[in-house]
Amino acid sequence: MKDRLVSALKKSAADYTEVRFEINDSNSITFRGQEIDSVSSSKLSGGIVRACTRGGWGMAVFDSLEDLGNGIREAGEGAVLVGREKTELAETAGPATAEVPARLERDFRGVSLDDKIKILSGYNTILLKTDKSIATTQANYSDSFRTVHFASSRGNYFREERPRVILALSAVARDGALVQRAYDAVSSKTTFNVVQGLEALAEETARRAVKLLKAPPCPGGVYPVVLDQEMGGVFAHEAFGHLSESDFLYENPQVRDLMVIGREMGVKELNIVDDGSHPGLLGTQAFDDEGTPTGKTYLIREGKLVGHLHSLETAAKMGEKPTGNARAIGRGVPPIVRMTNTYIEAGKMSFKELLAGVDRGIYARGMMGGQTMMEVFTFSAAYGYRIENGQVGELVRDVVLTGNVFQTLHNIDGFGNDLKILQKGGGCGKGGQSPLPVTDGAPHLRIRDVVIGGK
Amino acid sequence: MPDSNLDKMRAELLHGLDVAKKQGAQGAKLSFGRGEAISCSFSAGRLKDTEVRRSSAYVIEVLVERKRGTTAGNDPADLPEMINRAISLARVGSPAHFSAYPAPAETKKVKKYSGKTVKITRAGLIENCGKMVDALKRYNPDLFIEAQGSRSVSEGLLVTSGGVSHRFEDTAWSLGSLAQKTEGTDMLFVGHGHSFREVNDFYNPDLITERLLFDLKHGEKIVESPEGRLPAFLPPEVLGMFLWPLVLGVNGRNVAKGDSPLRGRLGEQIFDPGLTIRDDPHWDFSPGAAEIDGDGIPTRVMMMVEKGVLKNFLYDLDSAGMAGAEPTGNRGCMPYSPEVLPGAEKSGDLLASIDDGIFIRELIGYGQSNMINGDFSGNVALGFRIKKGKIIGRVKNTMIAGNIYDLFKKDVALSSDRDPMLRLPSAVVQGLSVSTSK
Repeated sequence: MKDRLVSALKKSAADYTEVRFEINDSNSITFRGQEIDSVSSSKLSGGIVRACTRGGWGMAVFDSLEDLGNGIREAGEGAVLVGREKTELAETAGPATAEVPARLERDFRGVSLDDKIKILSGYNTILLKTDKSIATTQANYSDSFRTVHFASSRGNYFREERPRVILALSAVARDGALVQRAYDAVSSKTTFNVVQGLEALAEETARRAVKLLKAPPCPGGVYPVVLDQEMGGVFAHEAFGHLSESDFLYENPQVRDLMVIGREMGVKELNIVDDGSHPGLLGTQAFDDEGTPTGKTYLIREGKLVGHLHSLETAAKMGEKPTGNARAIGRGVPPIVRMTNTYIEAGKMSFKELLAGVDRGIYARGMMGGQTMMEVFTFSAAYGYRIENGQVGELVRDVVLTGNVFQTLHNIDGFGNDLKILQKGGGCGKGGQSPLPVTDGAPHLRIRDVVIGGK
Repeated sequence: MPDSNLDKMRAELLHGLDVAKKQGAQGAKLSFGRGEAISCSFSAGRLKDTEVRRSSAYVIEVLVERKRGTTAGNDPADLPEMINRAISLARVGSPAHFSAYPAPAETKKVKKYSGKTVKITRAGLIENCGKMVDALKRYNPDLFIEAQGSRSVSEGLLVTSGGVSHRFEDTAWSLGSLAQKTEGTDMLFVGHGHSFREVNDFYNPDLITERLLFDLKHGEKIVESPEGRLPAFLPPEVLGMFLWPLVLGVNGRNVAKGDSPLRGRLGEQIFDPGLTIRDDPHWDFSPGAAEIDGDGIPTRVMMMVEKGVLKNFLYDLDSAGMAGAEPTGNRGCMPYSPEVLPGAEKSGDLLASIDDGIFIRELIGYGQSNMINGDFSGNVALGFRIKKGKIIGRVKNTMIAGNIYDLFKKDVALSSDRDPMLRLPSAVVQGLSVSTSK
């Protein structure tokens, strides 16, 4: 493969050309209610050529390697049509050639379909039988084995295997027209074993759906809020992380001013990190999809903005170093600047101390979703509890938090000592590419004056 | 299309059907699709990239002892292996709630392929995107402007053991732009786009720019957000978004599995009598236009809600079998082109009737709630305050929340004018819960 890609690239006349070819084998099993809802498997291969001439990009997407030469020609022609300036791309760091095989403690490709179904069926039965108000369930197992070949006209080549296994459980409880859903998931890129022994998780998920039927909706208003590690992680990712992605900054002078290095972003205890090289996490890979080795980047240190996330182009145009954050979700799409494993570093307070500072507030737990439109963020907790006089109280549902990131980062007034990076299903969406494997993490956080949407 | 030879492909798929049968499948369906798309995008107000995309896919579903297995791939050399794999998956696979793929039935001819769309060139897309960018720059040279345009042509086949052999060809175009204004830590985003299968009057950069300029101008001034239970003006695309929970609720699979809160409620008044919502897959050249579903069943116009009364659920073959209902030709039990019939008053008059309320243009986080229950919540990413019937400025840090089955139960006013690209009117609803941080 290496020789084929490298030799095809020699025909390109562009300032810079790269080709990425991928093969993705995946399998999925879903139970819904009493029975299996679907069993499917796919094998898809394909690639993309990107060429840059005088700063303009041309891209060609193809399925078969037989079309590689044609793709290089078409991408080159597109780049010539677009380019009017100067090609500015940072140097590619790292070795010229690398092979990065998957390191699987237990390889899911060695587990039979029957065994996978048996495991999933066991959890589904627990979900169904936990309570009579469970109306239906969904239990999904999926795995994928993605092999990425990358070569550029700079002479770089890598082959990296990127495996992933996900197990997601959901229970729907119903009382008349009221329907409540509870969800949880686990995921790993290192072992099949992560999907085993989850009977307690299945039971807890079903019980939560049942309890949510009786829980009142969270009242709207402005409250002090304690976020659990999962919500704190979503906050790090959604509220702040996306702002640090330089494809949004590098050609936008006003936003660059806003996100200038050294700016005071939050309280002094605040440190936010993105680390694509953290061993074993879902957002981890050896190289990004432009051939840059991944690494650890501090985005906020002691409350001050100290870093941005980069591709080769954004790094060159902002005069900074590439960080290995140009990532593509799969074959046939270009890499864009994305996060990897993003987390807020731990502080010193115990959970009890965090709660003690709240007379009347909300403890938000688990993630249902998060979305951001740069300064504005919104995320939904899977569930929450009232906090009354420093004690965790009544369970509440429909907990949706929103705010302005620039205000909110200054409003964090408590950092727990219990950092956790969560590896669940799902992932990040941006530019139509979703879900990209990422992880988020945080310690428990306490934030003043958070807007909660309520009826 | 490059060396289009669908007849050869049909022969391959029919051969695949035979192979599947010989290997023990009682039924099978095989589909193939391929497409080519060209696109361009502008970033920071200038042309940034162009792309040519060619892709293809095969999907195989087999039925073995009333169980189903599915495989997908995109390399024709893998077809025999895909059939083998589908059969081994089906042996342990999902129970099928039907005994055979249905025989061909008469279908309504729906237009999906336009020669005019095929003629859209890369240069034409670039020119149209450039016009949007230039118009926005003229309004404010400091805006951060993006624009995208695309044109695609696809073709494909579906063959089933029921005897269906269906060929399709379709085209599509899209044109859109977004602009961002940053002042201090305030960011104003506005965006709009159109897409359709035939080149029509809306393949027009000026119309997209007009809408962006409306939002930019009305968004210049930030005003205090109202709070409490308020009337809200929902423009057509936002009304469409508010109806997502209904789409989940009438999904026949959700009904059969017990997820839907609408199960067992056909004939019940669920919305204001002014609301009639139907699915029209026969709308020529609409993005959702379809003659048959994925099982070869003809599509049909389906009334979902008539004068506020819940009329029908949408079923594909398997879900219909599960529910003991008739299949309605809805792939994945989803509507193709849901439309809301118009109301009585002009949208301008509806807006003018609001004394103090909110105009919602864009929400973020809308889909994160317990949506199937009808619950929604969202941050008003772009919204305006209405006072004495006029938009007085943009609101910030504002959340809305509620349940669509409560919100649309009564006092819903729909406009007589609809967005012709969406077939949706504007709406005014009462008592929307709005909270804000000052």
